[in-house]
Amino acid sequence: MSGLVTPPVAQPGPVAPSGDRDLMIEADDVTKSFGAVHALDSVSVGVPRGTVLGLLGHNGAGKTTLVNILTTALPLTSGRARVAGYDVAREPVEIRRRIGLTGQFASVDGQLSGRDNIVLIARLLGAGRRAAGARADELLELFRLTDVADRRASGYSGGLRRRLDLAVSLVGAPEVLFLDEPTTGLDPSSRLNLWEIVEGLVEQGTTVLLTTQYLEEADRLADSIAVLSAGRVVAAGTAAELKATVGRRTVTLTLDTGEDRGTAGAALRGAGFTPVNGEEDPRTVVVPIDATREIAEVVRTLDQVGVEATELTFGEPTLDDVYLALADQSAARTPV
Amino acid sequence: MTTQLTPAPRPAALRAAAGEAPVFGGSSLLTQIRILTGRSLRAMVTDPGIVLFGLIQPVVILFVLTQVFSKMGMPPHFPEGVTYLDYVLPAILVDNAAQSAMQSGVGLVEDQKNGMVARLRSLPVHPGALLAARSLVGLVRATVQVLIIMVLAITVLGYSPNGGVAELALSAGLTVFISFSLGWAFIAAGAWLRRAEPLQNLALIVIFPLMFASSAYVPVADLPGWLAAVANVNPLTYAIDASRALALDVPGLDHAIPSVVISAVIAVVGMVAALRGFRRPL
Repeated sequence: MSGLVTPPVAQPGPVAPSGDRDLMIEADDVTKSFGAVHALDSVSVGVPRGTVLGLLGHNGAGKTTLVNILTTALPLTSGRARVAGYDVAREPVEIRRRIGLTGQFASVDGQLSGRDNIVLIARLLGAGRRAAGARADELLELFRLTDVADRRASGYSGGLRRRLDLAVSLVGAPEVLFLDEPTTGLDPSSRLNLWEIVEGLVEQGTTVLLTTQYLEEADRLADSIAVLSAGRVVAAGTAAELKATVGRRTVTLTLDTGEDRGTAGAALRGAGFTPVNGEEDPRTVVVPIDATREIAEVVRTLDQVGVEATELTFGEPTLDDVYLALADQSAARTPV
Repeated sequence: MTTQLTPAPRPAALRAAAGEAPVFGGSSLLTQIRILTGRSLRAMVTDPGIVLFGLIQPVVILFVLTQVFSKMGMPPHFPEGVTYLDYVLPAILVDNAAQSAMQSGVGLVEDQKNGMVARLRSLPVHPGALLAARSLVGLVRATVQVLIIMVLAITVLGYSPNGGVAELALSAGLTVFISFSLGWAFIAAGAWLRRAEPLQNLALIVIFPLMFASSAYVPVADLPGWLAAVANVNPLTYAIDASRALALDVPGLDHAIPSVVISAVIAVVGMVAALRGFRRPL
């Protein structure tokens, strides 16, 4: 696999010139230092209204620091950031009125019931008693919490707590939603439920910044992805663009016998392909291709020399490949 | 299968997610304080353990002192016609005030630990609202505890102070005010230290010895010289003397003004320090 990887560092892609009115999240050259430690080093990202930016990175890459700066919990050291059109340093209250945040750890009051947690936040946002109750009912139903609504949150399972946490962060119907590793510790059904809710929110025009270590999650939800490593954006673009930086798609052929590999390899090379013998199974040949229609040509070439493939699989590079490739590269550049 | 588990999101709950203006209009500082105070009071009602747990130390000391020392002779400077129970009870109330104050700080630390503070920081909520709420809850808790101790002392132990009802109420009120001011000191400590253990150690290492190095359990004149010197500058002595003078109708009322002034200064300094500590990033 690693032979396929030729990772040029993608230029930060989804950055639009500042002043673009439809950018709901905008970070320009944001740097954050804790003493001598540079948690963020000139990070620039831009998220257009109604889209999802997936922020990928290891623990300690700076994902949460960026979220904290954008949600006005942490001052930045230098650079500029705007959320929903407001400056994080100068207009934090306007931003807080328009954002929702689900952090890595569920922020719920265990001594209150699930319903009271939602009502509490709604009331703090200015809802009357009745409006707060109505909002709580809606969110409890959306997150399938109605049955446990009146139980103390301290008795909730991890999954229930996270769902409640997300429900609470949606109380004010935020324009911009920050999800910091929202599905960590969720079971598959809850994760799917959360994904569908996020998709529903985005459909309604909510802008989302999602940090995750799950590539599947970023692949499914994110319109664009930025990969953070050691406080820097090391790659950015759409999922497809990132996959393209890692390597081409491949066709893996399983032949009748290992001896057929010689014949097949020669024929494929003659047709302009660059086949490689599979390492794990002595009967397989891996053929990189540029486009899906080349699959037919691979099959035709084999047919012409009388070699039959018992199995043919088509492989796309996964975001895991992107992640590992870029992380390897970054680790090589900046030894820890 | 998954469609069974996850019904499609209802647009109603997702409504206005992309709205230009926030759905709710925001709330004033006073409303925020009221709502956050109500939240903790509710927790106190549903979990009265918080109130009762805080009572353990003062009540144990009350019983230990009045029972263990009941047969011992009174020191020479002990006021005439006053039982040891009557003498020591105002001090027990001040001790309780300090314990309750510590719990205000611990409550704030809990909020920081369980993520409530992080949540509130992402909302348009004034940082001072949570601090004020913690202080007000402490005020309520201290009042309830003072009432419980008084009722217990009167009905079970036979507490019968010489002061009138109004003076007794004033004496109790003074201890509640002291709890309020110490509460701000502990809230400030909680905002800066952000851990519960140092607060509990502070109470154990500072308040507990200071109670003994005061007029709490023995008249200052009967303490050894060096200890009397400490007791004479110990603010708790002023607080206890004033509370005792009111409840028992004995001399010492001249200590009321200094104790109120000292408490007020502690409260103001505590408020400022708490707000500054609390504003620091998590």
